[in-house]
Amino acid sequence: MIKQRWGLAAALVLSAMVMSGCGKTAGTQDGKQAQAVTKSVEADNAGKKDGVVVVMNVSSEPEAGFDPAYGWGAGEHVHEPLIQSTLTVTDKDLKIGYDLATDLAVSSDGLSWTVKIRDDVFFTDGGKLTGQDVAFTYNTLRDTSSVNDFTMLDRAEAIDDTTVIFHMKHPYSIWPYTMAVTGIVPEHAYGPDYGEHPIGSGRYILKQWDRGQQVILEANPDYYGEAPKMKKVTVLFMEEDGALAAVQSGQADIGYTAASYTDLTVPGYGLLDCKTVDNRGFNLPAIPSGSVSEEGVPLGNDFTSDVRVRRAINIGIDRDEMINNVLNGYGSPAYSVCDKMPWHEPSAKIEYDPEGAGALLDEAGWIMGSDGIRVKEGKRAELHFLYTAGDSVRQALAADTINQLKKLGIDGQMEGAGWDTAYDKAQTQPLIWGWGAHTPMELYNIYHTMEETGLASYSPYASQKVDQYMDEALAESDLEKSYELWKKAQWDGETGITQSGDIPWIWLVNIDHLYWVRDGLKVADQKLHPHGHGWTIVNNVDQWSWEP
Amino acid sequence: MKSSLSGRKNLWFLLKQLGRMAILLFLVSLAAFFLVTVSPIDPLKVNVGQAALGSMSQEQIAKLSEYWGTDLPPIERFLSWAGDFLKGDMGTSLLYRQPVSHVIGVKLSNSLWLMAVSWLVSGAAGFALGTLAGANRGKAVDKVISAYALMTASTPAFWLGLVLLMVFAVWLKLLPIGLSVPIGMEAAEVTLRDRVVHGILPCLTLSISGMSGILLHTRGKMIQVMESDYVLFARARGESKSQIVFRHGIRNVLLPALTLQFASVSEIFGGSVLVEQVFSYPGLGQAAVTAGLGGDVPLLLGITVISAAIVFTGNFTANLLYGAVDPRMRKGRKSA
Repeated sequence: MIKQRWGLAAALVLSAMVMSGCGKTAGTQDGKQAQAVTKSVEADNAGKKDGVVVVMNVSSEPEAGFDPAYGWGAGEHVHEPLIQSTLTVTDKDLKIGYDLATDLAVSSDGLSWTVKIRDDVFFTDGGKLTGQDVAFTYNTLRDTSSVNDFTMLDRAEAIDDTTVIFHMKHPYSIWPYTMAVTGIVPEHAYGPDYGEHPIGSGRYILKQWDRGQQVILEANPDYYGEAPKMKKVTVLFMEEDGALAAVQSGQADIGYTAASYTDLTVPGYGLLDCKTVDNRGFNLPAIPSGSVSEEGVPLGNDFTSDVRVRRAINIGIDRDEMINNVLNGYGSPAYSVCDKMPWHEPSAKIEYDPEGAGALLDEAGWIMGSDGIRVKEGKRAELHFLYTAGDSVRQALAADTINQLKKLGIDGQMEGAGWDTAYDKAQTQPLIWGWGAHTPMELYNIYHTMEETGLASYSPYASQKVDQYMDEALAESDLEKSYELWKKAQWDGETGITQSGDIPWIWLVNIDHLYWVRDGLKVADQKLHPHGHGWTIVNNVDQWSWEP
Repeated sequence: MKSSLSGRKNLWFLLKQLGRMAILLFLVSLAAFFLVTVSPIDPLKVNVGQAALGSMSQEQIAKLSEYWGTDLPPIERFLSWAGDFLKGDMGTSLLYRQPVSHVIGVKLSNSLWLMAVSWLVSGAAGFALGTLAGANRGKAVDKVISAYALMTASTPAFWLGLVLLMVFAVWLKLLPIGLSVPIGMEAAEVTLRDRVVHGILPCLTLSISGMSGILLHTRGKMIQVMESDYVLFARARGESKSQIVFRHGIRNVLLPALTLQFASVSEIFGGSVLVEQVFSYPGLGQAAVTAGLGGDVPLLLGITVISAAIVFTGNFTANLLYGAVDPRMRKGRKSA
């Protein structure tokens, strides 16, 4: 019986191999034919091609529809809402520019923002966009429970058709970044089914939404700005394998992919490599062990509570080698959670220095033992790295980190964990995290202490000075000046969260976002992408074009 | 007199079955709810995402955890759900922010015909092939069919789906890579032909993987029948093989096959979950996965109850059909 089964298995494998062999030759022939066909079609309507088919991952589909009140544009992957206009926009360097707004002014106490808006904007149903619509949008969003954070907004008030005042509960200097992802909805056409039938004043109109499958967007003919070059945008939602199949069969123009697929060549397609702030790094608990939180979660780690150990780990990791090993070269070294953002402190960058790292560990009293692992007072230098199970990139980063730390005399183990337990375990051990937002609030939430506990939320750390700079940054009325304060929180010359400071987090890499792109499709320059593959790729789809 | 008595008996039988269904649905929903509450998934962290939580104030996080109901006692949540359900209100999906009945309605209309066709095809083809193999035991045709059945029995549906996708969509470019409608086409232009073409691969996958069970059982039963005394007697009377198969074989094999086929509704259901993922087909399976992984309790419970009802109906239909196929069963039921 067993023999028979093995025979069957062998037959199965054989037939699969034969099938794949035949298929491949047939595929190339077919591919050529298909190419010939597309070429002749292209020749027929040269210059007329003005649509694009984009494949995104399944989680990019907004379950609750295209309603800004339920997170469209905001959340895990911030992006421009396309269908609706926003007051401000972020440019390529993540500085603030104007869309609907014509002027922004904030009071000196930071408690009221006065925004002037354009007078020539209409919704696609013909209604005029006024200050009342803006105020209605913000007040509605404040009252709905979604990923948009409006807890700092007291109320929005329309003074007249072109002026809106935002009354804040407390100063919030980075408000323009919130405005950049908040789509304005029409008060006269807003209701429970708005998400399925959105009306906006943006570059595109939602033509059709086949739930679970695709979204079809068409250029808004009455758009007040520059007319979109891409007249029709079709977005498909597929798993990673499906996305690859869509590209290989020539049915999509651009599809997301991962570094592990980059060895493939797809005829007629090239690889687009988008730079990101989608970083990976790990936390190091900065307080000694022994205490527990209110919920009974143990806090702190005796090894990493010594700042010299944390500094040694930071300079003891060769990030370039890691990028080659883990990401096939598709990434950039990360030295902070916000590399290249306007609020990023450039001195966070450090050089790889294994000797310096060793010296720091020696100085901290961790002496190299006979087995190549350092010891201090009978304790071994050990770290237990956690990664979220099922995420192969984080797993590989954990493994590579452990390998590199071995050379410094630090022993490491790794363990997969689910998000249900990971948050708690990270209070005592390093966890491989992924961050990367288009707002400095992330910096705040990672490093600022919480009122109730007096410790930062994701990894125990506390610094009054850092807290103070970030609070001042939020209270600052001038956005440009607030950048300086965010930078000071990272390093002010004496203290901060960088190498010469407390360094409670180690940043490893920024992961490039990769896409297969059909030859001839010109994808406009991308902003630094935030965390996660998603709608950000089509932020400027209106400026994409097909080369003749 | 006699007919009214049997009518009352039939009614009693029906009521009993409906009562069983109600109890079953209650227990299933209770079990599903229990599993959701002990599941380690934190809907807040799953749905909002770690990076989004990172750029949100503590106040907003508290507001959201209230929305996801992470701070309400489970018993309270279940009772309020069950109370509304009895009144005909299946609740509002937390993820889709729409009534659960609406979400399920849309999804079910997508996948119901997919499942129905696969179920019919796998049943009919499995039965026919099984009969053929059983009647020709040991011959080449039997060996080929059995080998095929054993092979598909041990093939995961999603893998089969991927292979079919690679062969027919990517290499041969004959069929679409997935979805239930053509890419970029407006709903008004979608024809029935488009829908059928998009359903071929998922249907084929489900049919192939669902066929083996009924095929192997039918074959086994057929072999038993062919070795029975009454077939020997028929042979002695000079009946031809095809006569034997049609007069004695199929009649005796049909009953267990029907049971199996109606019981396999649940398997088709399970298979469709995986197949819909592979082919990006927007059916109930896909919604169940989203609801389960996202901790959307009202939607998950709604889907569970609906699927349990469908599976129960499958088994119930088998019960009814017994009587139609085999008069002895009908009598047995009456005297009981």
